[in-house]
Order: sequence, then C-alpha cells, then structure tokens
Amino acid sequence: MTLTAAPTDRTNRLSTTRVGGQLVTDYWDDLFTAREQGKQIVWYNGGALNPIFQAAGLAWCHGEALSARLAAQRLEGPAQLAGAEYGYNSELCSYSRTHLGCAVLTLGGDPLHDDPGSSTGVVGLHDRENLAAKLPRPDFFVNNYAGCSTGQQWDEISFRVFDKQVPIFNVSLPFLWGNKPDAGYLVGDEWESASRYVADQLRELISWLETQTGRPFDWDLLSESMTYIKQAAELRREGLDLCKSSPAPATFWDWIASVAPINFLPGNQALVDYFQDVKDEIRGRLDAGVAAVEGEKYRLYFDGIMNWNKLGFLSRKFAEHGAAVVAGRYIQNAFWQEPQLIDPSDPLLGMAQHYLLCPTNHGAKTLDHLTLRDCEEYDVDGLVFHSTRTCRAFTGPQRLLAKSAQDKLGLPSIFFEGDVADASFYKDEILESRLVAMLESIDVKRARAS
Amino acid sequence: MDSVRALEQLRVAARNPRSYLEGWRARHRGRRVLGVMPMNFPRELARAAGVLPSIVQDDQRPIGEGRALIAEFYCGFTRNLADQAATGRLDIYDGIFTADHCIQLLGSTDIARTLEPEKPMFFGMLISSLSDAWAPRKIAEMMGQFREELERFSGEPVTDERLRDSIAAYNQDRRLLRRLFDERAAGSTAYSPVELQDLVASAQVMDPGEHYELLEVVVRGRERTSLDDRVRVHLSGHLCHAPRRELLEVIEEAGAVVVDDDLWTGRRYLQTDVDEDIDPMEALGRWYAERNANLPCPTRVQHEVGWDEWLLEAVSRSGAEAVIHLMPKFCEPHMLYYPELRRALDSADVPQLLIETEHEGIPLESFRTRAEALIERALRKRPAYA
Repeated sequence: MTLTAAPTDRTNRLSTTRVGGQLVTDYWDDLFTAREQGKQIVWYNGGALNPIFQAAGLAWCHGEALSARLAAQRLEGPAQLAGAEYGYNSELCSYSRTHLGCAVLTLGGDPLHDDPGSSTGVVGLHDRENLAAKLPRPDFFVNNYAGCSTGQQWDEISFRVFDKQVPIFNVSLPFLWGNKPDAGYLVGDEWESASRYVADQLRELISWLETQTGRPFDWDLLSESMTYIKQAAELRREGLDLCKSSPAPATFWDWIASVAPINFLPGNQALVDYFQDVKDEIRGRLDAGVAAVEGEKYRLYFDGIMNWNKLGFLSRKFAEHGAAVVAGRYIQNAFWQEPQLIDPSDPLLGMAQHYLLCPTNHGAKTLDHLTLRDCEEYDVDGLVFHSTRTCRAFTGPQRLLAKSAQDKLGLPSIFFEGDVADASFYKDEILESRLVAMLESIDVKRARAS
Repeated sequence: MDSVRALEQLRVAARNPRSYLEGWRARHRGRRVLGVMPMNFPRELARAAGVLPSIVQDDQRPIGEGRALIAEFYCGFTRNLADQAATGRLDIYDGIFTADHCIQLLGSTDIARTLEPEKPMFFGMLISSLSDAWAPRKIAEMMGQFREELERFSGEPVTDERLRDSIAAYNQDRRLLRRLFDERAAGSTAYSPVELQDLVASAQVMDPGEHYELLEVVVRGRERTSLDDRVRVHLSGHLCHAPRRELLEVIEEAGAVVVDDDLWTGRRYLQTDVDEDIDPMEALGRWYAERNANLPCPTRVQHEVGWDEWLLEAVSRSGAEAVIHLMPKFCEPHMLYYPELRRALDSADVPQLLIETEHEGIPLESFRTRAEALIERALRKRPAYA
C-alpha cells in the first residue's frame, strides 16, 4: 500500500449537472412515497419504458438505476449482503444481485410473507428498515432487456422471490446479430423486422397495463412525453457533437452525470430545460475557450459500463494525467441516441428501435463500426476498456474492439478491471500503471511523428 | 461387434469429436458438417438437409490463446470455445448455427465469426419468454428460418419426408438413452455416471442412426445391477456442457451413487421427444416449448414451471437422499436460480452441496472432503434400523 498526497484536481465539471442531480433526487423521493400517494408501482429493467409508465399513471423503479444509485452513494452494502445471504454468488451481475438484495430486504419483516428476507441476519436492523422502507414493493414487473440474457432472467427471479404473486410482463428483444449481408447499423431486414416485432409487443404491454391498472391508457400523454424526450435527446446529441472540439468543453464523465435524467426521468419541460442548459453551458465554454480538463493533453475513448462507485474518482484520475475522456460506448451509443427515429405522434416504433439499440445488443461487427466511427470523430489518442467484472454483455467484444482499433486506426488501448456496483473488483494500481504506460506510448508516437 | 468395442467407439466420439467427424467426412464425401451450439437448436432439421449436425463440446483442453480474446470471467465452456476458435480447432465444422441467447455463448461465437468471417455462422434467437401468447408463433417463424438457412447451407431441400425420418432417428436414440436414465432412477446401477455422460455426449456429436446402432450393442451386453446401500445422490446443474469426468468419479468414490440428474450431458438432453404424429415443423416448435416444461431451464422464462419444483419431484421419484449442485463458475442463469433451488430443498429437508466447477484446476481432494461430509449428513438422516 502506498501513501501519496491527494493529486491536484484538474477537472472542470459542468455546473449544470448539479441541477440534474437534484431532479434525480426529487424523482427518487417521489418514488419512495408513491405508495402514500396512492400510485401503483412497477419495477422494470432494460430499455427506458418510463414514458409508457408515465402515460399509464404509474410510479416506476428502474432496477439497474436503483443499483447504480446505491453504488454511487456507497449504500449498496446492505442490499448486497442480503443478496449474498439469500444465496446470490458474488460473481453474479452486481446490478441484479444488488436489486435482488433490495427485493429480499423489501420482503423482510413483512408479517404476511414468510420468507428468507425476514430472517436476514447479516443486515442490521437499521439498514434493513431504511432500505425496505425506501423501496416500495412492486405491483407488477415489466422486463424489457436487450443484449444481455441475464436481464430477462433477473426479473423472472424477482417474480419468484415474490412467490409468483406479482404479475409480470416480458418484452422480448431480438439480439441484432447481423446474419444477412444487408445487416448493419439502422439498416437491413433484420433491423426492420425486429423493430416491428418489438413495437407490436409494446402495444401488447399497453393493453396489459390497462388491465392491471383498470384505466385506459393515455395515448396523448405518451405523445406529449415523447415530444419532450425527443427534444431533450436532440439537445443531448447536439451537446455531444460540441464535445468533438479540442480541448473538449465537457467529458464522458459529465455525460455520465446526465445518464439518469435521460434514462428514466419523466418526459416534461423540466427535462428539456435541463439538456438545454447543459448544451448552453458547453456552448458557452466553447465560446470562452474553457476546457473540461485543465491542460488537455490526451483524448481517450472509454468502453464499458460505468463503475458507479468510482465516478468522481475516475474523472479526477484521468484529468490528473491531462487525459480528457471524450467519448464512450455507454454515452454516444445509448439513451435515446438516435432521436430522429422518434415520431412523437406515433412513437412506439421509434421507442422499440431505441430499446433494440442498447449498446450491448449488437454483434461485434456493428460495434466495431460504431467504436471506430466515434474514435475518429472525437479524434482520440487511445482507448480505455473497463473490463466490467460482472457484466459479460459489455465485456464480450472488448478484446476484438481493442484489436480492431489497433489494426485499423493504430490506436493503443488498455484494460482495467472494475465493476458496475461492486467496488471490490476495482484495482487502482493496475489502472494507474497501465494508463501511465499508454500515455507514455502516445508521447513516444507523437515525438516520432514530429 | 461386442459391447466393449461399441462402448469404446462411443467413448472416443464423446471425448474426441474430431476423430468421429473426420471419419464421418471420409465416409460421406461432399457432405457438410455443421457445428451446433447448445442447447436448443433443432438438429433434426439440419440432418434432414443432408448435413451432420454435431453439438460443439467443451474439449477440456487448457485455455491458451483464447485468453487473449475473451474475459477470464466468462464461463469455462465459452472460454474454451474462444480457445477452440483462436487455435483453429473449429475448422472441423463447415458452419456454426446457434439458437440460444446466452450472452456468454454469443460472445464466444462472435469471436469465432470474427476470426473466420467467411464461414457461415447463423444465430436464430428462439424466443426465451415462453409464457407469452405469441411465443408459439415466434417459435414457428424461427423454425422456418432455420429451415431456409439450412437449405442454403447444404444446398439441399428439407422435405417433410426427410424431416420425418430425421425426427424418428433422433427420437429412437433419445428413447433408448432415456430408458437407461429411467432404469437408473428406478434402482439400476448398470452404468457409472462417467459412462452415461459418454453415452449422451456421443449422441450429441454423432449421427443418431450410427449412435443408436452402437448404443443398442452396449445395452444388450450390459447386465442390470441393483443399488447397494450407498447414499443416493441427484446431480443438478451444468446446463450446457459436461462436468469434468474426474469430478463424477470423486462423487462416487466418496460413497455416493448417482441415481438421477438434470445435467446437459444427462437427462436435460434427452428428456423430450418430437411428436411424430403431427406436421413435422409444428412438432419441432412444440418440442422446443415442451423441453422447458419437461425439465425447466433457468435460461428460459416460463412462469408456470420451475426448476425447483421439478427437482423436488425428481428427488422424490428416484429416492435421492441428497443433491449436489454442479455450478460452472460464472454461469449467470445458474447463479440466479440457485437460491430458489436451495430454498426448495431446504424446505423439503433434503441435504445439498454446492460445488462451483472450473474449467481447469479443479481442487478434487477438497471436493472429495465436501462430498464425504454431505454423505455423512445424508447417512445421519437414515432411520436407525436401516
């Protein structure tokens, strides 16, 4: 173990993302009191179905988002302990075992439910009551998971943890493998037929929700919500494009801070205003020549799902070396990233297509196309792969992508191990030494070229 | 041919598929060999297209070059597949087809596709959410796609007549295998777990007609033997590839006798036949759906059936006194479902042991000790007069 002085913080984070943080906090507070407000509550995973839930008059809890939030706030411990006691292996997707641990805790202490959650011995009463009180029990589950087979199985297990007493609906999302010669990003028969298939299932979901709620679905509200989301997504896209400038006015880490708003906040004017403010701040920085990383020297691409325990830490670590992480699969290729597909007057097809566009739902060939495209457009010097220990979906093609970036663009890359919601997998010394080595190799390359 | 030689031929096919496949090629000049990824691809269709569909096995060789292509926290089987791809060991197959959306399996298949871009590698994703009203229609659509792709791959039409013949051949082979498993559950100890694994793995590799001929010889030459007083154990897990043989041996050496299982190289493979009395395409669709009802798999979503419930019934049927879970390290569907299995067995007071298996470096003596402890627990539950 080494003891070193805290490095100088060379980050210059967007100030507007704090507003987003408040919007997200307000959302969770509202969810935690949904039962008292007389709302029905849906637990869901995968693609952003929240506009449909909004139009159905429901409160919604995105399982991955909850796990990410707990990890980001260092509050994941009790849920993960409860999950471990229930029997979940520590190598299981940490999103799922954190969320399932919450389910176990949510059941704990319920006199009507004779289950292992009520006998958890490793989670203290204070934590148990705290978490159990915060996350309301679901009235139903909806699964909408693309890319990772574990996602669909996870909600099925939630259904079983609740003794099959909570109704569940599954949206099946075909993996965009690319069998045919015409297959590609946003094109080809596979894309078109999968889009129609998922849109048809969304109509079935809406009928099912009408049955569950006993209310007609508000199609006008869905259109209204998707109008706002489309506007917000366009502003986000425009803001991302501005970050192609050098030095970058905002980084991947700033955009990570804006994942929650675009991923699950209600579609409304506040959401549009937020992304307008983000874009305006970036535009203002460009005009004033303000960089997101003081003395930007390197531009990097980040592949991997976010290590939520380490968001601030990682942003400072890269900046300390003058490295601006300017793009990444989890940002450029996720979260309503193709707003032109959305027709607010008839939004289901465009929504279905975005669910299919999950960044883990493509074969390696398409991911190769997207990664190299972004590396070129953002003019990066190298790639950093977050080998996300319990996320097999994100890590699957990473070695292929690294090789392709080296072979086709001459870009070096490094891998470091961490995880989405389990800090124990993060190895700081490995990232530090590999990052320094890669940056030095970039220096050597530049020196030779000059 | 005598039963010893027949068994040896099956054992070789199971443990060294390449030798069988090369021999088959030599006997069938001009015909193609299709590698099939587990677990649900309808091989009947491929055989009807005139090709030999052979399920790709974990060849149990140490993972070398494949480590550079796939993360170390993928399961051993998929890392082995990546290694087979990296070292050219998949060259024995003219194409690879898969129907199962396991993200780890897709990851290794994509590596194979990237390394051999000219080789046909078709993925047709069979719907895994089987409780949906539209599931039968989607299954039928995918079966139709498989048929078209296989016709393109082989250059031969899949006629209904050839499909019926193919279905009958696989059914015949599965039925005979199933008889052995049913007899074991009813008290026969004619075959060791390793022998049964070889019999099933060879069925996954070979043409069903050739396999059946040899299996019949083996069965004719084997006498039924009865249970002794060893502790009766059910083996559960290993959903898509074989556990290492030495692990099966250690379990019986520790004082257990395996009476039933739900392993991929066991009952899970052979539990369901294809209906021969209805339209063959419809029958294949039903076969896929019924497989999960007959022996539930945690990779499928079907609310009305459960692996835990099936396991309790199986234990009751065979009289198993304990259950050993064989969980391949990093197998997410198994990790997710395991607590439900544990809960069910605990509620029925059935002793159980979880063994996490690795591709290499299995600590056998540690497993032996744990198996012995389980057996002691099971013995203590026997009535004093037994």
